[in-house]
Amino acid sequence: MTLSVALGPDTQESTQTGTVTSTDVLTAPDIPWNLVIWNDPVNLMSYVSYVFRSYFGYSEAKANKLMLEVHKKGRSIVAHGSKEQVEQHAVAMHGYGLWATVEKATGGSGGAGSGKGKGKRG
Amino acid sequence: MAKAFKYGVKGITGYLEPAERELLRSLFDDVVSMLEPEERANQDPLAALVGLDAEAREPSDRALRRLLPNVSKTDDAASLEFRRYTERSLRESKIGALKAASLGLDKDELVLTPADARHWSMALNDVRLVLAERLDIRDDEDAGHVHLMQDWSQAEDVESYLALVYNFTTWLQESLVQAMLQSLETRG
Repeated sequence: MTLSVALGPDTQESTQTGTVTSTDVLTAPDIPWNLVIWNDPVNLMSYVSYVFRSYFGYSEAKANKLMLEVHKKGRSIVAHGSKEQVEQHAVAMHGYGLWATVEKATGGSGGAGSGKGKGKRG
Repeated sequence: MAKAFKYGVKGITGYLEPAERELLRSLFDDVVSMLEPEERANQDPLAALVGLDAEAREPSDRALRRLLPNVSKTDDAASLEFRRYTERSLRESKIGALKAASLGLDKDELVLTPADARHWSMALNDVRLVLAERLDIRDDEDAGHVHLMQDWSQAEDVESYLALVYNFTTWLQESLVQAMLQSLETRG
């Protein structure tokens, strides 16, 4: 797995100024769960990429990078957040037919920004 | 012969022959009947109404397990608890997409709204996941073997027929997703 390649928007915000609200300070370290997508021989690469773009709102480049990571490495962390957030994403991914699990973050292995799910679920 | 889906001024459009529509309708219906939760006599109606299912278990059928997977790789108890809270609504959302796609099969000419297209892509994906389990596709190599089966005159047993159906639904989903990706570009 590659080390973190892109800082999520949350990380940038919390280091921007000294005037962040106390809630931000409290929630920033409190992001201990990952959403993992696993490779399978059925799901189309185009479809996986489409789901990453339309559900998480990721750019084409980011969606393709994560999709290729799933394909080549067998799995990829595509979002992180609170347990409730990643569980909600997992159900949405299962709705799309992607094989998703959640796991506690061990730190330093994140390859994705925090998933800002648009909640476009069927 | 079906025509590949494409994205144009009318949105996403496609064309299917009557026999192809019949085939898809029966595939969508099959997966719906796999997903329909069994009614149990002692079920709490209020719990069912809010989507809880205290009796939910990991499915014993491989294909169903792929449609409704565990949420944790390592923690079976956590997976089971999660399943009890979410599986019923997951089944219902999948059934909803399959039925919506099935309803769209009334005409040869398909004109899909963005919501229709999403339902279709999900429905085709679930059909393919089930067919892949029946065909025992475990890795890319297995998928490659199945992919070689392209000629309907080769359909001499159930397995080769399933392989042809799998390849048809794969082709259809790929063309749909390409059209959906194009619509994302255009909408920005």
